[in-house]
Amino acid sequence: MTTHAAGRQPVRGFRAPRLSLKYRAAIEGWLFVSPMLAGFVIFFVGPLVGVALYSLTKWNLLTQQSTFIGLANYADALTKNPDFWLVIRNTAIFAAGLVPLNMALALCLALALARPRFGAVFFRTVFFAPVVTSAVAWAIVWKFLLQGQGGAINELLATIGIAGPNWLREPNWAMAAVIVTRVLKMVGLNMILYIAALQAVPRDYEEAARLEGASSWQIFRMVTWPLLGPTTLVIMVITTIGSFKVFDHIYLMTGGGPENGTLVLAFYIYQQAFKFFDVGYASALAMIMFVMVFILTLLQLFLARRNSK
Amino acid sequence: MKVLIKALAATALSTASMAAVAHATDLRVTVWTGSAPQLAMFNSFAEGFKKTHPDVNIKFQTIPAADYTQKLTFQLAGGNVPDLGWIMEDAAPAFEQAGLLMNLTPTLKNTEGYDLSDLAKPAMGLWETNGEIYAIPFSTSPFMIYFNKTLFDKAGLKTPLQLAENGQWTMEKWRQDAKALKDKTGVWGFEFKDGEGYDSRILHAMMPPIRAYGGYAWKKDDCGFDKPKAVAAMTVLHDMVYKDKSIVPPGVQGDFFSGNAAMTINQISRVPNLADAKFDWGIAPLPSGPAGEAPVIGQAGFAVFKQGKHPQLAAEFLAYMTNKKNSEIMDKYFPPARKSVVDGKQFVEGNSAIKPAQMKYVAQAIASGRVLPSNVNIPQIRAALKPTMDAFWKPDSDPKKAMSAVCTAIGQFL
Amino acid sequence: MTRRTRQAVYRTCWILALSAVAIPFVFPFLWMISSGFKSANEIFGQPNLIPSVWHWENFAEIFRYQPFARQYFNSIYIAIVVTLLVLVFSSLAGYALARIRFAGSALLMLFLLSALMVPEEVTIIPNFFLFKWLGLMDTHVPLIVLPVFGSHGIMATFLMRQYFLALPKEIEEAATMDGLSRFGIWMRIALPMSRPALAAVAIITFLFSWNLFLEPLVFVNSLNLFTLPLALSNFTDPYGLPLWHLQLAATSLAVIPILLVYIIAQRQIIESFAMSGVKG
Repeated sequence: MTTHAAGRQPVRGFRAPRLSLKYRAAIEGWLFVSPMLAGFVIFFVGPLVGVALYSLTKWNLLTQQSTFIGLANYADALTKNPDFWLVIRNTAIFAAGLVPLNMALALCLALALARPRFGAVFFRTVFFAPVVTSAVAWAIVWKFLLQGQGGAINELLATIGIAGPNWLREPNWAMAAVIVTRVLKMVGLNMILYIAALQAVPRDYEEAARLEGASSWQIFRMVTWPLLGPTTLVIMVITTIGSFKVFDHIYLMTGGGPENGTLVLAFYIYQQAFKFFDVGYASALAMIMFVMVFILTLLQLFLARRNSK
Repeated sequence: MKVLIKALAATALSTASMAAVAHATDLRVTVWTGSAPQLAMFNSFAEGFKKTHPDVNIKFQTIPAADYTQKLTFQLAGGNVPDLGWIMEDAAPAFEQAGLLMNLTPTLKNTEGYDLSDLAKPAMGLWETNGEIYAIPFSTSPFMIYFNKTLFDKAGLKTPLQLAENGQWTMEKWRQDAKALKDKTGVWGFEFKDGEGYDSRILHAMMPPIRAYGGYAWKKDDCGFDKPKAVAAMTVLHDMVYKDKSIVPPGVQGDFFSGNAAMTINQISRVPNLADAKFDWGIAPLPSGPAGEAPVIGQAGFAVFKQGKHPQLAAEFLAYMTNKKNSEIMDKYFPPARKSVVDGKQFVEGNSAIKPAQMKYVAQAIASGRVLPSNVNIPQIRAALKPTMDAFWKPDSDPKKAMSAVCTAIGQFL
Repeated sequence: MTRRTRQAVYRTCWILALSAVAIPFVFPFLWMISSGFKSANEIFGQPNLIPSVWHWENFAEIFRYQPFARQYFNSIYIAIVVTLLVLVFSSLAGYALARIRFAGSALLMLFLLSALMVPEEVTIIPNFFLFKWLGLMDTHVPLIVLPVFGSHGIMATFLMRQYFLALPKEIEEAATMDGLSRFGIWMRIALPMSRPALAAVAIITFLFSWNLFLEPLVFVNSLNLFTLPLALSNFTDPYGLPLWHLQLAATSLAVIPILLVYIIAQRQIIESFAMSGVKG
C-alpha cells in the first residue's frame, strides 16, 4: 500500500544510493542526541575528569597550591579517617529510609488524586506546596515543631500519653526526623510524576477488569502497577541518587549532628571543599560517591530487568 | 641652553604626571553589611579619600555574611581579586598563613598622624604576626550580658548592672539569679548567644565561663578543655541546664529578644533588635569568676589583598578609613580598636541607644578583653568540637569524661 | 443508606482524611507566608499563623533593601530559558534513546546515567575554572548552561525516555509509513502525546533552576545579577544575622511564579488525561 504524504514524489531518474536502515538510524539517533550530548561532554565529562585528577592531589583552595600525592586521599578516606565510615553508614541509612517512604507515599497520593474528583486539584496543590516552600522556611518551622519541650509534635504525643524524645538532639531520632521531613518536602514531585504516568494508563483496561469482577486491589496489582513499571524504575533511580546528594536540608536541620549522627556524604564533601578548602580530598570523596551510586544504580537496573522477565 | 633643557624637563614631567592622573583607578572593597546607613558612611569615606586622591573610584560590594568567607575565597581563587575586604576573625589565621594579606605596617607607619600605638595591643592579637600588621580590626565588640529588667523586677532581684556597680556580679550570683528567675517567673533564666550555643556558637558559650574560672581553650598545641579549671566551669553550665533547668536546653527556643529568656550574652550590635521590645532592658559586664573578670571580645578585620591590582593605593585608603577621625565616625556601629576613641567621651556618651552607665563597661571590656581563641585550623576544630560537645550536652553525661573526649578530638588540629 | 448518602459519606471521609494528611504539608508553607507580615521578633515567639500586627511595610522594604525586582526578573528569565532548553534537548535525546535503535545507544545511556551520580558540589570547581578561562565569570551564562547540560538535563532526558517508551507504537509506525521523517514524528506525534511528561519536566526544571544556590554563589558577584536564592540570603543585618521578616516576605513573593508554572503544568496533565479517556 502506498500513500503519498504531502509533497512527496517517488524518485525518478537518478536513484541515490539508499542508506541502509541501520546507518540512517545511527545518524538520526546521534543527531537527536547531539545537543544534549555536546553540552554534557563539555560541562560535565570534562569537569568530571578534572575532579578525578584533583583527587590525586593535595590542593588547598585558599593557597592555590597543589601537589601530586597519588592515591593518598583515597587511602586516607578508606583506612585512616574514622569519620568516613560513619558518613557512609549515615548516608546508607538516610537513603534506605527515604527512598521507600518517598515512593510509597508518592504512589498513594497519586492514586488518590490522579482522577479528576472533587477537591483533587486543590489537594494536589496542597501536597506540592512543600516542594515550593523555601528549604530555610521548612527547616525553621520543623525545628520549632520538633522541639523536645513545647514543640507541637511532642505536645500532640503527650495527649495520647507518649513522652516524645528530644528529636533533633538524639542521633537516631534526628536521623528519623530528617528523613521524614525531607520526604514530606519532596514527595510532591514524585507524586506529579506518578500522576503523569497514571494518566497514560488507558482507562479501558481498568474498566474491562472491573467489569470482570476484579477488586480495586487486584486491578492495581494486575493492571496499573505493571504499566507503571518504567516510571517506577526511573523514579526509584532518581530518588536514590537524589538522596545521596541531599545537602541543604541536613545543613539547615541539624548541621550534620547531633554527634555527627546525620553527617551524610554530600554534607561531608561540602565541608571538606568549602569549609576546609581541601579540594583534593573532597574530589576523592566525590569519586567514591560516584562509584557507590553507580554500582547501586546498576543493581537496581539489573533487578528491574530480572523482575520484568 | 640650560633654561631650555629645564623647560623641556618640566614639560615632560608635567605631561607624564598628567597622564598618570588622567588614568582613573577603581578599587573594590568586599564587606558583609548591606545596611544602607553603614554603606552610606563607607561611601562618605570614599569621597573623603578622593580629596587627596582625585582619580580613585571606590566601590563597596556586599557579600552576605553566611557565605562570606567561601565567596571571598572563590573570588581570590578565580582571579577576581578584590582590592580590600573584611575578614572574619576565624578566617584571619588561615588567610594570613596563606599569604593572601598584604603587610600593612610600612604604609601605616608612613601615614601622617596615624599613630600606630593608639591601637590597643590585645585587640591586635589576631591580626598581627611577628609584629607585622596584616589587617586592622575595624570592629572590636565585647560580649555583654543583656538582661530583661522587667523580669528582674518581677522576681524581686537586683539587676546585673546594679550588682556590677557594687562588685557583686559574680558567676555564683548569675547562677542563683538565673534559677530564681526561672522558678519565679517561669521564663528561662539565660540563653546562649543568638540561641546557637549548642551549634554555631559553641566557643562563644564556653569561653566566658572557662576564662572566668581561669581556664583556657588551647595554648599552642596544649588543649585546655580537660584541665580542672575548664571542667569546673563547664560543670557549672551543665548543672544549670540539667539540674537548675535555668538555661535554655538544646533544641528549645527561648529567644531573649522576644522576651522568652531573662538574660543572654551578645555584642552591642544587637541593640537595634530591642527597638520595639515590650520590656525594659539593660546591658552589664560578664559575671566575674574565681579568677576575676574575663571580658571576651569578638572582632572583624579590614585587610588589603596582596594579589589585588593596586595594593599600595588600597593600603593608603585603609589607613585613611581607620585613622582617628574616621574611627570616631565608625564607632557608632563598630567599636574601634583605638584607645583614644574608646576612652573618649564621645564613645561612652554618644550612643543614642545605650546609656553611658552601661557603655562605660563596654569601653572597659574593649580595653582589657581578650579575643576568642584562634588557630589556622579553626574550621576543622569547630567541626570536631560539635559532635563531642553534643555528647557533653546530655542530661546524664559526665562533664570530666566528655571534656577529655573533646581534647582527644581536637588535639590533632592544634 | 441510599447510594447518594453513601457517596456523600465516602466523599466526606476522603476529604477529612486528606485534610489531616495535608496539615504537615501545608502548615510550614502558610507559616512562611504569614511570617512575611510579622516583625522580626514575633517570628520566633510562637509559631502562630496570624500575625498580631500586620507589617505590610516589610514588602515595600525588600525592594528598597536591594535591587530585588531586578533579581526577581533574573530568576524568572533564567528559569524560562533553562526550562525551554531542557524541554527541547531532553525530549530530542529521550526520544532517540526510546525509539531509535542506533549503534552505541546502550553504552551512551549508561554514560549519561553516570552523570546523575556526582554531586554538583564537586563538578563546580572545574567548571569554575572553565568559565573563568572562557571569561564568563559574573554573567548568567553558567547559570543557564550548567542546569541544562548537567545532571538535571540528563534526568529530564531519562524521564522523557521512559514516557516515550510507554506510548503506543502503532501511531508512530503508521506515520512512518505515511512518509513522515523521524524529526516530523517527534515533533508532530510524540511531543503532543507526551504533554503530561513535558509538563512534569517543565515544573521540575523550572523549580530546579529557580532554587539554584551554589552556582550563583560561585559565579555571580554583582548585586544586579543576583538570582533570588542569593538575594534572599542577602537580607541580613550588618552583623550577618538574617533579617527573618524580610527574608520570609521576599521568599513568599518568590513562590508565586513557581505556583503559576505548577498550576499551568497541572492543567496540561489533567487535559491529557481527558484526551486519553476520550481516545480509549
